[in-house]
Amino acid sequence: MPEIDPTEYDISELGPALQDIEDVDELEAILDAEKAGEDRVGAKTLIESRIEKFTEEDDEDLDPDELDLASMSTADVGNAVRDIDEIDELEALLERERDGEGRDSVERLIENRIDSVQGSEEEDGDGEVETQAPEEKHPNLDHPTADKRHVRAVENGDYRDMWVYCETQAGELIDVSREMLGKARELMDTYNDEYGADERVIAVLIGDDVADLTEESIAYGADLAVYYEDDRLDRFYHKPYTEVFCDMARGAGHPYGREGRPEADWRDYDEPRYTVFPATNNGRDLSAMVQAELDSGLASDCSDLYIENAMISNPAKTGEPGSNKEFERVLHMKRPDFSGFEYSTILCIDKPDREFHPQGASVIPGSFEVPDPDSEREGEVVEHEMPLSEEWLRVEVTDYDRLEGGVDLSGHDVIVALGRGIGDDPTRGIELGLDLVDAFEDADLGLSRGVITASYEFDGHVEQYVAEERQIGESGQVVEPAVYVAAGISGAVQHKVGMDESDTIVAVNSDPDADIRDFSDYFVEGDLFEVLPRLTEAVETGELDLGAVADGGRPAGGASESGTDGGSDAATDGGVSDE
Amino acid sequence: MHTVVLTKGVPDFREGQVAFDEDGHLERGKTPTVMNPNDQFALQAALQTRIRHGGRVSVMSMGPPGYKDVLREAMESVYADDLYICSDREMAAADTWATAITLTTGIEKLAESEGSMPDLIFAGFKTADGETGHTGPQTCWGLDVPVVTHVIALDVDEEAGRLRAKRLVEGDIEEIETVETDLPAFVVTDPEFEPTYRKAEHRLLYKDLREETQARAENFEEHLTEWDQEALNLDPDYIGLDGSPTIVSSVDPIPKAPAEREATVVDAGDPEGMEQVVEELRPFGTETAEAGGD
Repeated sequence: MPEIDPTEYDISELGPALQDIEDVDELEAILDAEKAGEDRVGAKTLIESRIEKFTEEDDEDLDPDELDLASMSTADVGNAVRDIDEIDELEALLERERDGEGRDSVERLIENRIDSVQGSEEEDGDGEVETQAPEEKHPNLDHPTADKRHVRAVENGDYRDMWVYCETQAGELIDVSREMLGKARELMDTYNDEYGADERVIAVLIGDDVADLTEESIAYGADLAVYYEDDRLDRFYHKPYTEVFCDMARGAGHPYGREGRPEADWRDYDEPRYTVFPATNNGRDLSAMVQAELDSGLASDCSDLYIENAMISNPAKTGEPGSNKEFERVLHMKRPDFSGFEYSTILCIDKPDREFHPQGASVIPGSFEVPDPDSEREGEVVEHEMPLSEEWLRVEVTDYDRLEGGVDLSGHDVIVALGRGIGDDPTRGIELGLDLVDAFEDADLGLSRGVITASYEFDGHVEQYVAEERQIGESGQVVEPAVYVAAGISGAVQHKVGMDESDTIVAVNSDPDADIRDFSDYFVEGDLFEVLPRLTEAVETGELDLGAVADGGRPAGGASESGTDGGSDAATDGGVSDE
Repeated sequence: MHTVVLTKGVPDFREGQVAFDEDGHLERGKTPTVMNPNDQFALQAALQTRIRHGGRVSVMSMGPPGYKDVLREAMESVYADDLYICSDREMAAADTWATAITLTTGIEKLAESEGSMPDLIFAGFKTADGETGHTGPQTCWGLDVPVVTHVIALDVDEEAGRLRAKRLVEGDIEEIETVETDLPAFVVTDPEFEPTYRKAEHRLLYKDLREETQARAENFEEHLTEWDQEALNLDPDYIGLDGSPTIVSSVDPIPKAPAEREATVVDAGDPEGMEQVVEELRPFGTETAEAGGD
């Protein structure tokens, strides 16, 4: 008979009761007693984790000097160093790696382990994570959180395939849907090679008239297209679209699945492994709600996706501070962040006691190529059937109009684009840009993302020009004019994408080191508030007037107000423009 | 009519405000925090509702205690009656899922103390830092009320308990939809949102409120309620970093674009250089085109 009978304890009391038992055999006996008795998953996990803890310590006869670092992968080293508690040994190991392979990732792993051993020594060896029932961890709460609507995870779920939500408009796939299918195909082909798997690209179509688009989805890369049609879904509605997507996504026997739902023969897993949505107004909303309902996470507005293993040290994910854990088949979601100041790579990763699948992403339209459709491609088409609840249809679209035109910046001779250089006087900056635009026969005004995201205050008469529809770059428009004037734009990569096919690029910038210099044909070093009016005048009158400044060729910094209100008077004196 | 506006503090991304460390990473600590610019539109929508229909506006945020200033800012721009901040170390480093469950709980708690759900909950589209656009829809999902997003114009019919909104749809075709739904509802405003005050009395009230609100905002802390994880009765496993499905695995400075062109550097005061530039522009000028050259 074991020291304690686990079946006499509530799960919340079992943790403390096991606290003093360190003998693995004894723990095994307790585990057996639990299995023979109540056989509770939570209780078994508790006992098993305790067994694991002391088993690990037992077989600690691994000799760090014997480790052949060069033959070990980063992951192997990660696992090996977890069993080493001696700082001297770890430091020796680090030394050997530095002298040998010198892999940054390996060195970082060992360093982390050193930090964590040091850390736990400081904390009196109290670095252990106990699996505790929530009641015990937070006795002051009455724990409704796990019952909330958001918390709907699967345990030990089986996840497969990449699901692509194919958004449609007016009975057609929109371009980004085709782009995503192409990218998904590429990702899953590589994935299947890499992991010796046979997982599919699933196209998801929802609407009142989408059956016809299933073949096209297959031609663009899907292995299977699943669609749901209902006349009431003629427009995008948040609630029913989310419910339908999630109903499709949940496998038979899913704990939160629809009651009495028939088993689908085309899939035998609990939830998709990956989901991909377009980062359009509706696609992005749908992605957020679907992932919330499926109790998982996502990254929005991604510009790149790839799948590989990831070594994670974040204790929220490993469950153990200072340790590293390798996660397989992780969708890496890369996105411009912080108003375009940085790129972040986002991962959606399971926790020890909670699974975050599917791993979701929305992608910026235009990030990937539209693939050539292959009408010979074969795939399966499945119609999904389920009842729509009236409760889900409380939002009603009573009318819709096509927005006429919008701003199309492509096809002009000249684009005058403004960046954050207008910050000193944003309204004036826009005015000067518009003046230059007006001097050309066929030109329009563009903006860098920086101007859109900055919270500049504009006067009413120029405000209408400051809109996302004028943004040039990765998440805006792509233009190829004969002349591109970039005033006060520093030249982030995302901006470059939108304009580097222009014939001639003229940059105006007061910072001689601005990045845009590397992709300009002319780099005018000066203050745009002074340079733009001169260019305007020169284009309007044919004469260039640099006013008093030109004389000594002094930098523009000390320039007068010349030119800002010139214009009609072509024959400005000074004769400075003569060569 | 009771409305709640959700807001967030973000780094001030205006030129000159953003601090970077040696590696080119954004230094949040050294960059001032301001109210998320897009939230201004949500506040405008709440203010419009208040001016047209009366009632009360509450503003809620989740974030460190420093976000109180953001709430003050919000109070200043919309005559907010009360402010709520969900703040706790356990809530730190939350992704949108963990933020949404916290805000959902905050709104539920507020509704509980009021005895009913707010009629309207407003959120802005995308924060300037996370830029996901997820928190609004996910919070709404938790509350299970109808949602209308990307709203550019709003009308509320108080008697019928309905709202009518215009919203933007993107894709290969840009559209404006007119949408109707029941209250209570969740409205995410688009940055193109424009409040309208058609009646003279509304415009006057708007002016009065603007003035009154300044004075009120000075003592904003008197109207502020702070809720921590315990007050919200939230299990830390489900909030903050611990409750977040996603993590940021790396943050890279945007790589420099490779040099592809050899720029002729021209000093703005150099006539010859500038003439070269103008040469490039001149062929496309109005004058040139009309006269077929000089």
